[in-house]
Amino acid sequence: MDWEKEIQKLKVCDFEELPGPKSKEELEEMKMPFEDYCKRVFDPGNEFVKPEALKGIRWMSTTMYIFTPHSVANLAELGAECIKIEMPRMGDPMRHTSPFNEAYLYPLHDTRPMTGTGLGFTNANVNEYFITLDYHVPEAKPIFYNLVKMSDGLTECYRHGTFDRWKQGYRHVMEINPRFIYVWGGGFGYGPKIFGGSYDILGQAHAGLASITGCHEDMGGHATKATNWVIDWYSGTQITVAILAALYWRGKTGLGTMIEFSQVQAATRMMGYAAPLYGRFGIVRQRWGNWDTQLCVHGIIMTGKVDFPDAQNPQDRFESRYVMVSAFQDADFQELCNVIKKPDLYSRYKTHKERVGAPAQIEIYKAIEDWAADKTRSEVVRILREAGILAAPVMNDREVYECEHYRLRGTVRWNDDPLFGDILIHSGYSTGLMSKTPRRHRWQWRPVGADNVKIYHELLGYPMSKIQELYDKNII
Amino acid sequence: MCDIIWCKKDLGDGKVCDTVNYLDPYCFWNWEGKVACAHCGTVYYIHMIQGHMYAGPDEKPGEKPDIYPLYADQPNNGYFNYLPGIEGRTRPYTCLPRHIYLGKADMVKFSIRGRPVRGWRPQPPSAGIAGSQGFFWDIEKLSPEVWEEYQERIRKGEVKDW
Amino acid sequence: MAKERREIEINSRADTLPLMGPDVRPWPVTPPPSPEECMKVYEKRKAGEFGKFLEDNLRLDYVFEKPEALQGLRVLCNGIWHISRMFATSLLAEQGAEAIHIEPPTGDPLRQLTPFGREEYMLKDNVTGEPCGLDFLHEFRNAYSITLNLETPEGREIYKKLAMLVDVIIESWPPGYMDSLGIGYRQLSKLNPKLVYCWVGERGQWGPMKDEVSKFGQWMLDPFSACANSWVHNTGFPPDQCPRGGKGGDPMRSGAWLPSYVCGEQAAASILAALYWRDFNGGGEGQFIEVTAAESLMDILDFDITWYGFNASIKARTGAWDPNLNQYEWNPCKDGYMMIGGQTDRLWYRIGMCIERDLPLFGRLIHEDPLLKEMAARNALQALIKTYTVTTKWLRDINRIEAEQKLMEYEIAAGPVLYIDEVAEFPHFKYRPWVNTKETQFYGTVMYSESCGAFQHRTPARVKDLGRPLGYDNGEVYKKYLGYGPMKLRELKAKGVI
Ligand SMILES: [Zn+2]
Repeated sequence: MDWEKEIQKLKVCDFEELPGPKSKEELEEMKMPFEDYCKRVFDPGNEFVKPEALKGIRWMSTTMYIFTPHSVANLAELGAECIKIEMPRMGDPMRHTSPFNEAYLYPLHDTRPMTGTGLGFTNANVNEYFITLDYHVPEAKPIFYNLVKMSDGLTECYRHGTFDRWKQGYRHVMEINPRFIYVWGGGFGYGPKIFGGSYDILGQAHAGLASITGCHEDMGGHATKATNWVIDWYSGTQITVAILAALYWRGKTGLGTMIEFSQVQAATRMMGYAAPLYGRFGIVRQRWGNWDTQLCVHGIIMTGKVDFPDAQNPQDRFESRYVMVSAFQDADFQELCNVIKKPDLYSRYKTHKERVGAPAQIEIYKAIEDWAADKTRSEVVRILREAGILAAPVMNDREVYECEHYRLRGTVRWNDDPLFGDILIHSGYSTGLMSKTPRRHRWQWRPVGADNVKIYHELLGYPMSKIQELYDKNII
Repeated sequence: MCDIIWCKKDLGDGKVCDTVNYLDPYCFWNWEGKVACAHCGTVYYIHMIQGHMYAGPDEKPGEKPDIYPLYADQPNNGYFNYLPGIEGRTRPYTCLPRHIYLGKADMVKFSIRGRPVRGWRPQPPSAGIAGSQGFFWDIEKLSPEVWEEYQERIRKGEVKDW
Repeated sequence: MAKERREIEINSRADTLPLMGPDVRPWPVTPPPSPEECMKVYEKRKAGEFGKFLEDNLRLDYVFEKPEALQGLRVLCNGIWHISRMFATSLLAEQGAEAIHIEPPTGDPLRQLTPFGREEYMLKDNVTGEPCGLDFLHEFRNAYSITLNLETPEGREIYKKLAMLVDVIIESWPPGYMDSLGIGYRQLSKLNPKLVYCWVGERGQWGPMKDEVSKFGQWMLDPFSACANSWVHNTGFPPDQCPRGGKGGDPMRSGAWLPSYVCGEQAAASILAALYWRDFNGGGEGQFIEVTAAESLMDILDFDITWYGFNASIKARTGAWDPNLNQYEWNPCKDGYMMIGGQTDRLWYRIGMCIERDLPLFGRLIHEDPLLKEMAARNALQALIKTYTVTTKWLRDINRIEAEQKLMEYEIAAGPVLYIDEVAEFPHFKYRPWVNTKETQFYGTVMYSESCGAFQHRTPARVKDLGRPLGYDNGEVYKKYLGYGPMKLRELKAKGVI
């Protein structure tokens, strides 16, 4: 049988037989180099001419810190109208955190001219409208309900049961608006530790992530905290995934739901083989520093010399000496051994199974670091790359800022913020390029209550005098 | 004594050192060697295991220290203190983001590429009803001196794209 | 609890392997707390009725009685190596999408990965007996496995047909490779304009620092991403806390494939947004998405790059201490590490009161220090050093569980650094449970991390099965999608197409 022919017959659609490009432009598009094509369809810098995926969705954010706010910021970047509700005059406690107490933007609120919003607040609430409301007072209740009626969903982070006690929990809002999607995010959720407070760092510790990050204690290392509030952010995005799935289902059925999301659980979720290995064999996964438990060579090494010995900034001057090296496949490893002039290493560890063993790894990485002892970071990267091996420097914030790659892709860029001026951003656009409905960054944040008139008057229709009265009473 | 060394060295003239040297947990959790008092320089041999002083602190007159504390203070002397990184007294804490350490709000008027950013206080009042704000920083009106400085920077070519 | 005494002899690690496992030592070792005990916890805060509502509506036990949010959507996952593509697919499959993993006939090399090369830690399926690595197994959720050789013309034609029948393709081949074969987004979108196509990788499929393949054909994998966005530079202990050179004082990668997980979840979010736009917001068409681990992790680097733009600060690593908050850290204690958090005055003094009860010196040195009275001032470096040194003086005498109990009495957010065996047995975790076991179709009973979207009122996410022998679903998928019968498949196999 002639199989080529058979297959041709079976084809429901042969690309060659399809009607060809319909215009010269389309023809060009099909012919241009792939990279040019990507640049053209993603078109960084021109996001605002394209539609927004979540246009028309309105979301309430009764959140604080990073975790739950981020679940909403994702929606706001995708085009939803999001309303952040804060305590009058005070705002989200996260506004009052700043690295080394050094970096703030002003104003926070006219009544507090000496207080700013710290950079700790960055990226967690972008593009949102900021209003104030004190839920504790009875007058706030109808206002809150009105917002619920006008919105598609809400994310909250109060101690479980608090909103329920205030009669604004899921059990109440589902009566008012059955399409409403209600999200509670916190540390634990229902169960014996329901009222346990949570932070990012608690998630890292409690969930097991810290136990596998850092150098092994036999080497003098300790359980290491991931920089940043990474579990807060990462868990927030998983809430967004859950919200979007719920929105999709609501699109078909018209029904809302309640999502209870625990960030501690989310940290355990990324631990890969740790759970199945323990469950089946009783082996407890440990730390393995900058190497990889399953691949070798695939790790970060230290070079003897820094790249910038004369730089003023200590991070450049002392830390520009780490390189990611990867050569786990046989040919790569063989070449690496040649480069570092240790061909015997290759002859002793010819198979990956042999070299990924723990004693082999200790020996191999030591040999690489010995070779790098009289070299700078950039020398090591250059030599390895010239030999065809994968290697890259461990970059710092300055180097990321200066990196052409991110500038071209639009994932690090400056924004002319409507109220705060010239702000460098590395969020939003960087979460992913979308050719037709890209994310966009409008503003970083707004002062406390900056949109009270916009929301209470322009959306809910309250008279200006009532807004003034609510403000005077400290209700908004 | 344990993971602090409260140095009571007699300094003569009836004076006592009375300095608390803080032996930070990650460095000293399992550690053996000689540490110097940040104030009087007395060298103590210590051997710490799991945060406990297994041996020491024992004075080692005339010997060189292996290490200094990161921080030390004198609670009985108005909390006089030695910050990290004072040569011969404390060792540097190598996690600084710049060559200088402020520890208080940095008054910034221009971003690193020379354009205005609202990083200084106080800012003039600018809110409307109930704290509401528009979507336009009227810098020319609110902070004319910064606007002027910005024009000057543009003239000098100090304003960059990156 | 062991029901009977066993005679065992242990001479090597190999002798220990049969001593564990779900048949010998079922999980959990001790029973979880009962719902009645939990009700007492809820009642304590007068939230009994609310707690019961949560239990009645959110419990994991009920997930299979509820519909699936993404029922009817079809997802193709095409690639090897990157766990990010698998996690993105899992998130959609856990919500009910029909997911198919396409692997080359030789299989995804991830199937072969096992810690320290130990084959005894791989699980053999009950069909082919092939061993499978646990990372792959754990991330292969609710999905079919088919094989397809895209390097053959027939393979590509088959792939095009599949592409016309699905809603989503998640792809992780090297930059431009699928396009060069004529089966990238550029070509497939012409065949299926409603296709949502997402590429995932480390640094990008275009641009000066796009993903590379070595001269010898090796792919670029996690954590290259985290080295390229300053995450590694910013993580780890500073060298004055631990010495450099592999002794803890270096910049540090995450032990987990953290950047890949961040990439995978943002891929899922972008895909779902694209689907929402396509089906419910007037879009009507699919689109091209690209998510990289380097950039999606950079998105969540707090303020780090922004801070550089503000006053040229380059963030440094600060170990287990957070430079923005005090207290907010973990420090060593008698049997491990104890995390304590609470920065506002209210919480700060409560932590102090708790410690002072055992260690009056804490009050003398910390509470009485005028330099530590103001919240922002407490974040100064010297304040962290002082506070944490004296806190650890308290911690070194007590275990994690004792510390947790003491701090809980003062309603402090505190938690021990747990290892996976402790995570699996922590009362709250096993009550829900977060680490769970499943009787899988092919690999026996497997312990796994439960879906985080599983606690939902109407359409909870769920895990139905884990792992799949390579190409197990060729028969079903090729028949269902393309009408190919066994004879056809035999021939395709003989020609190396599937
Ligand atoms: Zn002294």
